Amino acid sequence: MSSLRTAFAANQLLRRGFTTSSRMMEIFKVQSVQDFEEKVKKSDKPVIVDFFATWCNPCKMLTPRIESVIGEKKGQIALAKVDIDEHVDLALDYDVQSVPVLMVVQNGKVIKRLVGLQDTDKLRDWVDKAVDGK
Amino acid sequence: MLTIFNKRAIVRLVFCAGTGSRFGSTYKRNHNYDYDLIVIGGGSGGLACAKEAIQHGAKVACLDYVTPTPLGTKWGIGGTCVNVGCIPKKLMHQAALLGEGLHEATAYGWDIPNKEQIKPDWNKLVESVQNHIKSVNWVTRVDLRDKHVEYVNGLGSFKDAHTVVATLKNKSEKILTADKIVIAVGGRPNYPDIPGAIEHGITSDDIFSLDRAPGKTLVVGAGYIGLECAGFLKGLGYDATVMVRSIVLRGFDQQMATIVSDAMVERGINFLHKCIPKSVEKQADGKLLVKWLNTEANTEHSDVYDTVLWAIGRKGLVEDLKLENAGVVFKGTKIEVSEAEGTNVSNIFAVGDVIYGKPELTPVAIHAGRLLARRLFGGSTQTMDYVDVATTVFSPLEYACVGLSEEDAIKKMGGEENIEVYHGFYKPTEFFIPQKSVRYCYLKAVAERSGDQKVLGLHYVGPVAGEVIQGFAVALKAGLTIKTLFNTVGIHPTTAEEFTRLNITKRSGLDPTPASCCS
Repeated sequence: MSSLRTAFAANQLLRRGFTTSSRMMEIFKVQSVQDFEEKVKKSDKPVIVDFFATWCNPCKMLTPRIESVIGEKKGQIALAKVDIDEHVDLALDYDVQSVPVLMVVQNGKVIKRLVGLQDTDKLRDWVDKAVDGK
Repeated sequence: MLTIFNKRAIVRLVFCAGTGSRFGSTYKRNHNYDYDLIVIGGGSGGLACAKEAIQHGAKVACLDYVTPTPLGTKWGIGGTCVNVGCIPKKLMHQAALLGEGLHEATAYGWDIPNKEQIKPDWNKLVESVQNHIKSVNWVTRVDLRDKHVEYVNGLGSFKDAHTVVATLKNKSEKILTADKIVIAVGGRPNYPDIPGAIEHGITSDDIFSLDRAPGKTLVVGAGYIGLECAGFLKGLGYDATVMVRSIVLRGFDQQMATIVSDAMVERGINFLHKCIPKSVEKQADGKLLVKWLNTEANTEHSDVYDTVLWAIGRKGLVEDLKLENAGVVFKGTKIEVSEAEGTNVSNIFAVGDVIYGKPELTPVAIHAGRLLARRLFGGSTQTMDYVDVATTVFSPLEYACVGLSEEDAIKKMGGEENIEVYHGFYKPTEFFIPQKSVRYCYLKAVAERSGDQKVLGLHYVGPVAGEVIQGFAVALKAGLTIKTLFNTVGIHPTTAEEFTRLNITKRSGLDPTPASCCS
């Protein structure tokens, strides 16, 4: 369990190592319900919420894919990562039954959802549409 | 792979989505409490009861809280079975069986390079097992939310017969009232009262999430939990010793118990018979020095282990409940209940491992919990039948049984002369090629001696024992006779078919070892 978290953190660090500070703002881990309220629901640009669990292997495979796609968007869209075990009620409120779940939140509303592991091309296409407001 | 959950779990969730009531809301409220039902305990029995009550239109809260072990192990919702019982046990047993299978595979023509380098990775196994458990915890939470069971992560205790106090993690208290209350708090392992037991020993509550390989392990206790733990540890390559105070598998058929333990000895598991632990000390090198007494020879012994696991029995979790505030009578650490799972207080009931004198098995708790909810809120009158419940010991060579042991059958029928025991050794087909030992593959049917010979008990030691006995358990419940059993055509080649091939009685004194395979 802890080794999983470490691996996850290391992955984040590696990715952040060669990005700008604005990139750090684009991908963040939700710390609390209040944090979610401010950075996701009140965000003026669309935010992709990634509900994940440390015990979920498809989630671990999805992480680098969605992060690289978000990186390509150069700040047009942010990625908020929610550990469902740390924020159970938040995940349940958004009807997360199985993970991973991605959802696009715009102006506080869920625009669309994507359940399960996806390949990078599909993710890119899905994120592109979210950026275009479709 | 779409999601981490198996398809069935997802399908189940979809079908259950939206509560509604499949039976119509038969329940009519006639009280002013917060809830119709509070269930204390979110394990198999409690959850089944809570969910069933909801289906009948009741308003339900379910409390669940896990007090950490002395080592600090804790877990999520779902109770013993999911977190520290059947589920992780079966997975670790499977890991051990796979190791066995890997070595047999070469005999079947699999070319396994560097076979001698095959070794288990304990931490990887623990991680996989724990990941599965956490996914089940999540599904459970989602299920409760979908069904509108209010989940309270707090330790429940009684204030009075209708009021429950939930003590939350931050020590704050939440007061809930209900018309009816079901106690389903389950049980936890006992520790012996000897120096070093709590500080240095672990239990089945810790082993499945242990953050280091267990190494050389002393398992104290020879009930099914002790045997299963020693079995999978040995199967994973660790030195395992079982310390037995008096008998192996108390409560089970003793001939079968001996076969199970002999089969373990054949696999290299050590047994210390008639021994009781005296102390556990941590040495400078971190290893554990265990001293024990052989009660038969009255001699003292000692050895050094990496891990000491207590499997000396379990207690009901009544101590935190403050039962006296509600006036509920208890017996030791358990609660004695009526045929309808009622306590001495008319609105308080109990199901699962906390009740006195009933099988401590998940499916028993689930069934009892569900039937109880149907009686309380659905107008049902059906009570739980605790008789002839099949069970399996997941020892290296598994043992499953249903019905009476030979000893109990003799007692019930008033003497050996009134029962007939058909028995036989058998050779599983798949054991021949890798030349696995068939020495302990044995089964027997215990029956009445007269008439069509009603079957009283079935016992089987061998591969996939639970799968073998489950169907026969249905037959036994339906009144199986030896006549019917022998009129049944088997499936060849299976080991379950051996029940239909039994033809030698113990009374005949004939050799019960098999002659041929296909004739």
